Amino acid sequence: MTEQRTQESPGDGVSTINYALAINHAMAEEMRRDSRVWILGQDVGRMGGVFGVTRGLLDEFGPLRVRDTAINETFIVGAAAGAAMTGTIPIAELQFADFMLIAGDEIFGKLAKWRYMHGGKLSLPAVVRVPTGLLGGVGAEHSQSLEVLGMHFPGVKVVLPSTPADAKGLLKSAIRDPNPVLFFEHKGLYRVKGEVPDDPEFLVPFGVAAVRRRGDALTVIATGMMVDRTLAAAEVLAREGHEVEVIDPRTLVPLDMDTILESVQRTGRAMIVHEAVRTAGAGAEIASRIHEELFFALDAPVWRLGASDTPIPQDPELEQLCIPQVPGIAEAMRGLIAL
Amino acid sequence: MASSAPRKRAAPVKTEVDATRATDLYRTVARIRAAELVLQRHITEHGFGGFWHPGLGQEGVQAGAVAALRTDDYMFIAHRGLGYALAKGMSLESLFGDLFARTVGSTGGKGGGTVHFVDPERGVLGQGGAIGSSFVLGAGAAISGQMLGTDRVCAIFFGDGASSRGTWHESALQASVWKLPIVWICENNGWAVSARISEQSPTENIADRASAYGVPGVIVDGQDAIAVFDAVTEAVDRARAGHGPTLIEAKTMRIRGHYEGDRQKYRDDLLVGDEIPRDPLGILREHVPASVADQLDDDARHEAESVLATVLEAPRADPSIIYKDVWS
Ligand SMILES: Cc1ncc(C[n+]2csc(CCOP(=O)(O)OP(=O)(O)O)c2C)c(N)n1
Ligand SMILES: [Mg+2]
Repeated sequence: MTEQRTQESPGDGVSTINYALAINHAMAEEMRRDSRVWILGQDVGRMGGVFGVTRGLLDEFGPLRVRDTAINETFIVGAAAGAAMTGTIPIAELQFADFMLIAGDEIFGKLAKWRYMHGGKLSLPAVVRVPTGLLGGVGAEHSQSLEVLGMHFPGVKVVLPSTPADAKGLLKSAIRDPNPVLFFEHKGLYRVKGEVPDDPEFLVPFGVAAVRRRGDALTVIATGMMVDRTLAAAEVLAREGHEVEVIDPRTLVPLDMDTILESVQRTGRAMIVHEAVRTAGAGAEIASRIHEELFFALDAPVWRLGASDTPIPQDPELEQLCIPQVPGIAEAMRGLIAL
Repeated sequence: MASSAPRKRAAPVKTEVDATRATDLYRTVARIRAAELVLQRHITEHGFGGFWHPGLGQEGVQAGAVAALRTDDYMFIAHRGLGYALAKGMSLESLFGDLFARTVGSTGGKGGGTVHFVDPERGVLGQGGAIGSSFVLGAGAAISGQMLGTDRVCAIFFGDGASSRGTWHESALQASVWKLPIVWICENNGWAVSARISEQSPTENIADRASAYGVPGVIVDGQDAIAVFDAVTEAVDRARAGHGPTLIEAKTMRIRGHYEGDRQKYRDDLLVGDEIPRDPLGILREHVPASVADQLDDDARHEAESVLATVLEAPRADPSIIYKDVWS
């Protein structure tokens, strides 16, 4: 595992770019490498996407490979599935992850199942890019974190990058993966900058968690936007004399339980922090698996932090109160360590 | 631009019908018919571990339309029988194998009960278990065909009931704007389970909708395999030439229940006896010498009976198949 992690170390050059541009570069590089790769979605062409992620791609690759669609999410994902099973590699962009449900049958009934149902005679190498999470005032229908759905429908991979480098390396892996991939890009991270390797062969493998911080007092598994908040809370705890280990699984399917279990075995305590609704979120699954595997190594029950069991209110201040914040995460860390 | 009213295709004139074409179609319809009847008997006598949706009486649409396609053309089938797949060149053994969950089935023993026949080499890409989901998938296949520089066309079969799905609307709009090489073939058999077409469509014909999408709408007699072949050929040529999709509505009828065993208490147009009104075989016989037709009937019956016997003896898959092919 450590070996694979070092593979990501910067090659010849490194650029400091934002998360959105890192995703853009991943697509551009893969489209240059493989003429079968193409993009479809609303406003992805002339406008370059509502979040600017596909800017410049229409100019470079033309309207047959960067296709602006009508408002038809079912079509976008369904056509991607049909194209994937016939030899091209579509990248479908939905404007908001919430709209996965509009294409529910196409994602969970087709992409996830059609290889299986047909005895392996079809393969569905499609990527569905879905901007996820809170943005600030976009309301209950545009703010959800629905990644757990991908865990509940065997047959789709689930990716949640939390840094620009991971966004690039994971998306390139997603495009090269022969399986369908749901790629959850956090809307709140698009403008966050970081060092990203320029090497067109820079790939971040699936199923390999990143240990973002080492510690021995507690293991916290955090995803997406919650990774930075958890790291900030871990800083606070460090000042108080507690070293918290922070693990970012990066992909939920496949899920690197080995890294998580190895860490919890050492620390004896675990907590999961995600932006998705706490009830029946990915954290519930991870907590169960830790309990099943490490019951006798645990010094305390596994805790979960997540969004409230409510829709997300439209107001940007209220919405933040629905999801974990740095002080709340730090407080929970203290509480769990004290148990 | 398409004219506003769908075009009704006239029946082919007898003297113009190509004899070889008629014989080939007769052979295909006879093979589908024999398979239908042998399954019907088997299910009545022995039951069936799933739902079989008989296509009896609709063989003319399926045979005629598929004959207009090339082997490498893509095709999404509907759930009504096995005629589409058989006509596209899949073996009867692989189809019966799927129905009875045997390893000889096209899905290797995982399929069973309901049809998910697949044969990418022959362009058979499956059937959407969620009715009407093939519209969007088929559009994607048509895009792939274009992008890979082929002139493949994608045929999408669907029922009158499926035409109500939103997937139709989204696909018809986008495929028309992009001029995708698609032929939509609606088998209008008048029923969607217990719902009459008149309760689902405010217009008499499904093809009436075509003009709203800027595509040609064509109505054809689905009992006349040659007429269907002609209509689909024209649409395929149009699609292959880059002029975009066509909506073909084949008027046909559902002879049996929604599934084999359906008691159809909701139905007021039930037939008595085994006679199929306007039987596609009878209509084709006008163009095929009787002795040839008789021989083809015999061959087909023999094939269906012997293949069924072979398949019923064939092994089922090991239960470990449950865990196979979730991932590539
Ligand atoms: C989305 C969806 N809704 C309902 C069903 C259940 N169902 C299966 S076949 C069918 C009727 C389809 O009617 P039609 O398209 O006319 O085809 P036909 O059965 O007449 O050949 C229904 C409602 C389904 N499979 N998928
Ligand atoms: Mg019908």
